[in-house]
Amino acid sequence: MTPLFAWLFDTLDERLGLRAPGRKVANKVFPHNWSFLLGEIALFSFVVLVLTGVFLTMFYRPSIEPVTYNGSFELYAGTTQPAAFESILRLSHDIPGGLLFRRIHRLAAHLFMAATVLHMVRIVLTGAFRRPREINYLLGIGLVTIGFAAGFTGYSLPYDSLAGTGIRIAYSELLSFPVVGDALAFWVFGGDFPTGDVIPRFFVFHVMVLPAMLIGAITVHLLLVARQRHTQFPARGIDGHRFVLGKPLWPAQFAESATLLLWIGGLLAAASVLIPWSDISLIGPYVPGEVGNNAQPDWYMFWVEGALRVFPALEFSVFGIMTISGPFVAGILIPGLVFTALAAYPFVERRVYGLRGDWHVLTNPLEIPLRAAFAVGTFGFVLIISAAATNDILSRMTGIPIEVFIWVFRIATVVLPPIGALLIYRYSTRRLERSGRTVAATEDEAMKPYLFPGPPTAESMARSGSQPED
Amino acid sequence: MTAPSNDGLEVIERTDPPPSQINDSIVALTAVGAAISGIVFAVTLLLGGPVLLYGSAMAAALLLLAVAVRRYFTAKYPDITAVEPRVPPAAGAGEEPITDVESVNPRRSFLGWLLAGAAGVLGLSLAAPVASLGPSPGDTLRRTRWAPGTRLVTGDGTPVRPSDVAAGGIATIWPEGDIGHERSSVVLIRLNVEPQTPTNQAWVVDDVVAYSKVCTHAGCPVALYRERDNALFCPCHQSTFDPSRGSVPTFGPAARGLPQLPMGTDDDGYLVALGDFEAHVGPALPRGM
Repeated sequence: MTPLFAWLFDTLDERLGLRAPGRKVANKVFPHNWSFLLGEIALFSFVVLVLTGVFLTMFYRPSIEPVTYNGSFELYAGTTQPAAFESILRLSHDIPGGLLFRRIHRLAAHLFMAATVLHMVRIVLTGAFRRPREINYLLGIGLVTIGFAAGFTGYSLPYDSLAGTGIRIAYSELLSFPVVGDALAFWVFGGDFPTGDVIPRFFVFHVMVLPAMLIGAITVHLLLVARQRHTQFPARGIDGHRFVLGKPLWPAQFAESATLLLWIGGLLAAASVLIPWSDISLIGPYVPGEVGNNAQPDWYMFWVEGALRVFPALEFSVFGIMTISGPFVAGILIPGLVFTALAAYPFVERRVYGLRGDWHVLTNPLEIPLRAAFAVGTFGFVLIISAAATNDILSRMTGIPIEVFIWVFRIATVVLPPIGALLIYRYSTRRLERSGRTVAATEDEAMKPYLFPGPPTAESMARSGSQPED
Repeated sequence: MTAPSNDGLEVIERTDPPPSQINDSIVALTAVGAAISGIVFAVTLLLGGPVLLYGSAMAAALLLLAVAVRRYFTAKYPDITAVEPRVPPAAGAGEEPITDVESVNPRRSFLGWLLAGAAGVLGLSLAAPVASLGPSPGDTLRRTRWAPGTRLVTGDGTPVRPSDVAAGGIATIWPEGDIGHERSSVVLIRLNVEPQTPTNQAWVVDDVVAYSKVCTHAGCPVALYRERDNALFCPCHQSTFDPSRGSVPTFGPAARGLPQLPMGTDDDGYLVALGDFEAHVGPALPRGM
């Protein structure tokens, strides 16, 4: 420590008593694995989103009132545009740094969603959701949901042609709720689409309500990780059920996290310079009654978009009091079922295998056939139906009529995930049988192959290269 | 910085980095490079330079600083691997009340439930303002802005004669006075085949027919006309309609046809609506068709 830091630390310590808890925090051991960085990447993308978002908010106008753009960008100079769209034109072309920070913000949103979703996939595959971490797992599912809402509202705010299409479909999805759909849609939109209220309302959600929810949920998420400690991959010679193996927060983990934050900032800036992400001046403003080809949402909404595209024509009335329609089943029920399945899975796995006690050591999903099948089935379904959202692009690229692609995706979505789940279930079951093992009911039992007698010591680590005693 | 044992932390592997002139040079060079890049970023941004320049400078500054931080820590501190016991949370600890505040009248638990219930009822009541967020839908979604005699106009307000629609042509049309009211938008098509049922022949004027432009699936504008098979096509979810047969859905997720606008001409020969659509336009309504 330099004298300045030492003085600062002493000053604070004398007033707040930091030394003992500070040392405890600094000594906290972090297990190491590349996949543990996914959550951190999501966290740091969120930091970038907040920083750039504050800058964008200084210039954005949440209104669709027509105004004249008088800036320097020739294509739109002197034209009348919705205020939201005009303010982003101004931000992008007339405010130094505006274009850079807008692109970084968009790109950081993609990275945030990608890292969040992959983090969730990692948690599901390795079983990090098991007791005692069910609460944090459910909180994580909630975070993914809030992330979707934050991404979608942000995508809508520029009020460009794509945003208009997205908002339109969102309105129709609300309208599709049986019995109460029209009231619901009017509550959210302030009336019949398109209204002047939707942009101001989405703005409030995007810059206030959803970030507040995210900050709150992320804070609790991290506090719970700290309280319950990290899970870790099995290491030979280490009783992971009772000990955490890794590197202390100070200095190893701190250096790694600081470096990662800088890498993320630098790579986002570099990619924003090289690629004109979400250039709304090329897309054009929302125009009533118009929609272009290539009306794709952001990639993380592909699965909902794909479901809307491949789900067959369906609309029927139940006793004349409620209508069940395709958009309700494809856009509300199917995503709802996927999230429900994800939230319920930890409890199903525990019950099916009669698991007991706490679990801190991650497992290969092939060791738990049900989990392998669940992951392949669920994530396979989401992947295939996401691909269906690109059917118009595939059709144009290949020259094959779009009807063919729609039928291919209809069949693939229904047939492939169950087949994949079944195959991986049989494979992992046989894999267990071949080695004469069963799914362990307690972690101590599961850890046996990795353990030597006695507590972990430098000697047991030194022997860790040798074979376990089965 | 070795770990004291009283935290339960046990160092099981420790590597001290050897002094390295090269590493020190890397730290110095990248740190100075980061600072210079930062200055370049600030100066070019303030002078109104191109985004390519100040954006690259910002990226370089952050990436160089990342390298500097990494190398700095690697050379300065030992690489420590340690184990730490997992201390299970002591569930149930601290059950004893801190002060002597145990209930002295346990039979009053009914009042506790009453209190909780009252708070719950109040909480639900406070949700009432949600209803202020939007008007009551009523039959808004069953009506559009078309009325008997309303002229069909283009996006710039020009009224339309049947002869204005080219063969195989398609135009987006609005009710006069309500341009941009999306639910009232209409596509006007000159059919190049004989219209068949369920097209209402009485509303076809010189082979020109008008249908609601709002897709009955998810409300997108049915913006494309595909000449190879005379199909109206929605680019959002690929619902396909046949305008020569009353715009019945022929493929894709839409379950209902696009309602046909009752249409005729006025005394000046311009196209006018004879009334509102007979069926509701757009996606399914939540209560009945």
